[in-house]
Amino acid sequence: MLGSERGVVEEWLSEFKSLPETQIPSYAGSLHLKKSLVPALYRVIQDPNSELMEPVCHQLFELYRSSEDRLRRFTLQFLPELVWVYLRVTASRDRQSNGCIEALLLGIYNLEIVDKDGNSKLLSFTIPSLSKPSIYHEPSSLGPMALTEGALCQHDLIRVVYSGLHPQRETFTAQNRFEVLCFLMLCYNSAVVYMPLSSYQSVCRMSSRLCVCGFPRQQQKLWREPCNRVLLDPEFMVQMLTAVYHAIYNGEWQMGQEALEDLLYRAQLELYSQPLLLANAMKNSLPDSAPDEPRGRKVLQVEVTPTISRISISAITTASIRRHRWKREDCFDYSTAGELTLIVNPPSLAQHHHHHHHHHRRHPPWDPTAKEEREGRPHSYHSSSSSIPPITFEDADGMSGGEDSFNVNDPDEGFSSGASNSSQPGGTKAGGSMGPRGGSLNNNSSSSSIKRAIAARLSREKDREREAEKQADSSADHQAVVRRRHQKQPSPPASINLEVIHLSPIKKHLSFPVVPTLVRTGSTSSSKSFDCMNFNLNGADDEREEEKEEAEAAGEDKEGGLPAGGSHHHSTVSLQEDHLIRPENAQDILSPGAPLTKQSRSPSFNMQIISQV
Amino acid sequence: MTARKSGSRLETEIERCRSESQWDKIPELVRQLSAKLIANDDLGELLLGECKLQTYLKENPLKQGASPRGPRPKLVEVRKHLTAALDRGNLKADYLQEVSLLMAKLCYVEGEYRDALGHYSRVNLDDLQLGGAPVYRLSMIAEAYATKGLCLEKVPAASPSLSNKNTGSPSSNRSTTDRDQEIINCYEKSGDIALLYLQEAEKALSAGIQNRSPKPGPTAQDLELGYFLETGLQRAHVIHFKNGNLTQGVGRFREILRAVENRTTQSLRMTIARQLAEILLRGMCEQSYWSPLEDPPTVSPLDDPTRQGHTRTKNYSLSRRPRVYSGENLFCPQENTEEALLLLLISESMANRDAVLSRIPEHNNDRIISLQSASVVYDLLTIALGRRGQYEMLSECLERAMKFAFEEFHLWYQLALSLMAAGKSARAVKVLKECIRLKPDDPTIPLLAVKLCIGPLHWLDEGECFGKIVIDMGEKAAEFRAKGFLAIGLVYSLKATDASLRSTQEEYQRKALGAFQRAQSLSPTDHLAAFYLALQLAVSRQIPEALGYVRQALQLQGDDVHSLHLLALLLSAQKHYHDALNIIEMALSEYPENFNLLYTKVKLESMCRGPEEALLTCKHMLQIWKSFYNLTNPSDSGRGSSLLDRALADRRQLNAMTLPDFSDPDTGGLLDANTLGFSSMFSVCSVHATSIAASRVEQALSEVASSLQSSAPKHGPMHPWMTLAQIWLHAAEVYTGMSKPAEASACTQEASNLFPTSHNVLYMRGQIAELRGNIDEAKRWYEEALSINPTHVKTMQRLGLILHQLQRYSLSEKVLRDAVQVNSTAHDVWNSLGEVLQAQGNAAAATECFLTALELEASSPILPFTIIPRAL
Repeated sequence: MLGSERGVVEEWLSEFKSLPETQIPSYAGSLHLKKSLVPALYRVIQDPNSELMEPVCHQLFELYRSSEDRLRRFTLQFLPELVWVYLRVTASRDRQSNGCIEALLLGIYNLEIVDKDGNSKLLSFTIPSLSKPSIYHEPSSLGPMALTEGALCQHDLIRVVYSGLHPQRETFTAQNRFEVLCFLMLCYNSAVVYMPLSSYQSVCRMSSRLCVCGFPRQQQKLWREPCNRVLLDPEFMVQMLTAVYHAIYNGEWQMGQEALEDLLYRAQLELYSQPLLLANAMKNSLPDSAPDEPRGRKVLQVEVTPTISRISISAITTASIRRHRWKREDCFDYSTAGELTLIVNPPSLAQHHHHHHHHHRRHPPWDPTAKEEREGRPHSYHSSSSSIPPITFEDADGMSGGEDSFNVNDPDEGFSSGASNSSQPGGTKAGGSMGPRGGSLNNNSSSSSIKRAIAARLSREKDREREAEKQADSSADHQAVVRRRHQKQPSPPASINLEVIHLSPIKKHLSFPVVPTLVRTGSTSSSKSFDCMNFNLNGADDEREEEKEEAEAAGEDKEGGLPAGGSHHHSTVSLQEDHLIRPENAQDILSPGAPLTKQSRSPSFNMQIISQV
Repeated sequence: MTARKSGSRLETEIERCRSESQWDKIPELVRQLSAKLIANDDLGELLLGECKLQTYLKENPLKQGASPRGPRPKLVEVRKHLTAALDRGNLKADYLQEVSLLMAKLCYVEGEYRDALGHYSRVNLDDLQLGGAPVYRLSMIAEAYATKGLCLEKVPAASPSLSNKNTGSPSSNRSTTDRDQEIINCYEKSGDIALLYLQEAEKALSAGIQNRSPKPGPTAQDLELGYFLETGLQRAHVIHFKNGNLTQGVGRFREILRAVENRTTQSLRMTIARQLAEILLRGMCEQSYWSPLEDPPTVSPLDDPTRQGHTRTKNYSLSRRPRVYSGENLFCPQENTEEALLLLLISESMANRDAVLSRIPEHNNDRIISLQSASVVYDLLTIALGRRGQYEMLSECLERAMKFAFEEFHLWYQLALSLMAAGKSARAVKVLKECIRLKPDDPTIPLLAVKLCIGPLHWLDEGECFGKIVIDMGEKAAEFRAKGFLAIGLVYSLKATDASLRSTQEEYQRKALGAFQRAQSLSPTDHLAAFYLALQLAVSRQIPEALGYVRQALQLQGDDVHSLHLLALLLSAQKHYHDALNIIEMALSEYPENFNLLYTKVKLESMCRGPEEALLTCKHMLQIWKSFYNLTNPSDSGRGSSLLDRALADRRQLNAMTLPDFSDPDTGGLLDANTLGFSSMFSVCSVHATSIAASRVEQALSEVASSLQSSAPKHGPMHPWMTLAQIWLHAAEVYTGMSKPAEASACTQEASNLFPTSHNVLYMRGQIAELRGNIDEAKRWYEEALSINPTHVKTMQRLGLILHQLQRYSLSEKVLRDAVQVNSTAHDVWNSLGEVLQAQGNAAAATECFLTALELEASSPILPFTIIPRAL
């Protein structure tokens, strides 16, 4: 360390100590003018033997403790370097004490986890939902939206805590290390815009080095200092990626990209899905060229571009299919395969298929007989836990009042989150009176939770459906599967969806009390439409199946083997499937380490439904 | 306007054609018009001039960035018409204005910027009425502002422009700034009026369609924005960003997006929404964010500091503005990621809608373009949601992209990763299979699949296939080759544990060992390779070799919890219990909340420090358990339930329960006793004291449990409950070791409340019954345990022993032989088997068994090595 640098640091140390309280704001304003101070401080931090380390860390903490944002940010700019030094030393075999860096990091952490009043901070944000009008859109103008679990869950905007309830920490342990560091990086990222370029360089350097040190790739780097591999946490890598992403677009194009590559490399080696996901997305969306602006910022480069869609009118898109349908239909449609078939089939077939639809549509769902039948069977609502709920009737196409067709299989289409739509066509409301619960479905608040359940089930069913689709190479095969289902026999293992296997027996057991509530939301007719879909999926060109579908849609169960109310068999069967799986899992009930991520979600999910219903 | 009021059908028709840009109909209409009245000739000239100019522009569209060409013969005609209309001066004032505007536009097209500006200064654009004007006029005014902006940009600042007042001081900094501002104002006004025009035009169009309902009429074709309107809508923010003025650029974006959309603006909105999201994600952060309904900060780090001071608030107003989204309870983002997400969801729904689905070659280009634009949106969504850990929602979004992602590796891969991150393992593996097909050379993908197969899914056969894919890549897999061997080694190792036949077991163990050795030699600096090699050696009871490798692993990664744990178990296998306990305590100082370590600690403590210490550790575990799940871990946030709610619910629930604290003043005696001679109090001295202590622990334990039960135990993730049951069972075991059936039974009951059908619980009940001397009852429990888990070796051993006591030797022998088949390293089973054989008079075989038991006991750890989790 040069003497002059030392001088600068020492001057800085003494200056702040003698500073009266009143001058702090002006001091904060002038700190960035000391050009040689920041590089000198980096030198101190990087040198493990520097005797200035302790006073510097202490002073940085003092700055962080002040109420002045600019002083806090001054300290924060060194965070990447501090983290790097800390982690490197931690990983090295001769564990030198880097006590003052640890103390500084913990100090910042302990200050940040509480708000002004000393309460534990909860960092939360709202997940926006397209089904709620916003200052940028109106739900109806976007057309039908996904009835995915997500869309429904968000029907009431959900606030999600992404960080919070962190306990105070007095020491670093291997166990809490990354919890603390992740939170610190989160703080850094929430102020990243205010960081100077040197800090961006530091964050890129830190990310690159942490990712490659001790790995073969380190050999390709200029920086070859021998170093143990540093254990990294996926969440922490996500935070590093966020910082690096910012650096790339704000002046550190080159270094940032290198760091991104190194993060990707490490994420691949560690098989961490989260950082891999983000790094892939970041890499894939990089602009082709480096920025040419003087400061190297490339947050956005915009040109005036033609606003006319570049897509030719004749190309088949979801929108074009929808338009097409509007022209041909003026009633609600049960058919479910239209979209899917259109994707896979050559146009001629699609045409053919549409013809079928038309044909089919002669039996509109609100055919009096069908309705009567539906209403006549309220008991069926109680008998199955996985029946498909009555989305068919409740939801209407937001854009044009129900001209769009219902499609279970398409994750995007077919369901609108209709509860917010005022323009539901009268016809589609027919289902509103379907059951004890049916009426309340049109009520936003109560339906949303039900929908959540519906969506959860639906997605499971959907999966199963896919499975079935794969299974059935010929429609005959498929039919067999369907038949089996109708005969209330447990499906063959092959058709059991693996997601279902996930459900652990205990949880299943627990969700039983929930069943009646859920089931009431189910409806015969919608299960029926689901059954229809079974046929549609594979037998799109099969005239016979079409007819059967029609028959079912009209509520006339012509298949002799079907008892009355057989439309919910499918779901009953799926329940049995779940039963079948029980013994397998039972063995593992007490195995301590078995991860239960998936299963863990559902019970609480159901509980919530109870509480809301 | 008068024209409109007159109600003349013809004039209405003309107005409509102008509004809908149906220029080809104008000449015919003009003919009809002229036939009616001579005075209309001037209007006719205006209309003909306009229609010819527009037709020309339609046929020779101006290109962004390219300068307009000079005079064209066709334009001469236009000029003639317009001049005629102007010269005669018979037109009404607003028509005169229109002629001037058209003239200016013509001048621009011909490259005569100054002349154009001259026309504009004569008309004075700001005086033009927006209210009550016919629709086409709005478009004219918007175009005029845009054209004026374009002209101002073209005419050098130095030269005295007609609209610039301070002609005297050329290129003074101040005048340039003013001029820049004037240009931006022109564009922003143009953009605002253009939005207004488009809204009005669409309204008129749909009204028109309704009026002319029966006849199909011209299909509702989308309005086309010409060059000028496009420029007007976009040039302002382009300039903002060129100048590094992010704050104003963001403001402008938000203004455009807040205007109610219509068909024509959809693709513009989609672009702008995406761009604004990019800025929010790349150039903003939580602290620099301001909500769309707030005023921007005066000094913002977003703006290029060299140009700072240029930040101005909007200094113009229009008499009519485009309609913005309004209503009650409009969602307005309050946070960076929130706004980015909202914008991206809007873009996504549009991108998704416009994605070309057909795969016929003619649409290939369209398909690729639409795919790219959608792909960008999905990447940004990934970044926004990934930051916030919302992987489940992300996987749902990406799933929507699948319908146009046929053979598109990137989208498939991202879907697989998002499913994996969201914990949807089974689906993730299926999608990963497709990814492998699309990109067979990438070793990461099969490795990710193995990771899932080994971990949450326990699909060992599938895992083996994936592992082999990596190994078959050979050198191509480079650094991943070692990982491949590690993965397949783990698969074999787990298979060995699952196998019920001894020969299969040994076969897999051999394979696993080989694979780990390969992995370790390929990647000697990977602590995992060394660690798993050590673990496998330990499982095959090669204790000294295992110790060597675990030391190596610890050198590479000093605080790896599993290596430390293995080291402790290895030491316990060598019967160095105190050393093992020291290691465990050291490991616990780094991982104070690791239950696996704590279980081992309980075992070791009852071994070398007496059961009282072990009980204290059990209690400690319960306290940790309580505090641990008190703070719900945000990382496992499911969106299904709001984490906040859940956290609060959990809190309430857990706060309600109290753990009597040993350090409480009134129980301080006990704590002291602990350090002095608690053990004596507990086990020797007074039955009373013991029962007090025991009942205290129990009380603590059961209060935890009961309070949990009251609020539905399985509320949260399963894992905590399994952990809790484990703790109870460990406590029960300690009590059985102390020959305290009542306490042990109480503890077991707690575990049983959580998992009534667990074989571990039933096994423990059997042990307690044995302790009480109820052999028959014990036998029943053991049989029940075996009916749930027929390969539970400990139960088999106890059952064998009981059968032996009941003198049913051959059955006992059968059970014990089965047990040995399942686990050939269980020394107590060998021992019991020896006893049975001895009782049957088979002394030779009995000796064999005893010898085996002795040998195995010498290398037996305090808890099986396999309690250490094996995962990639």
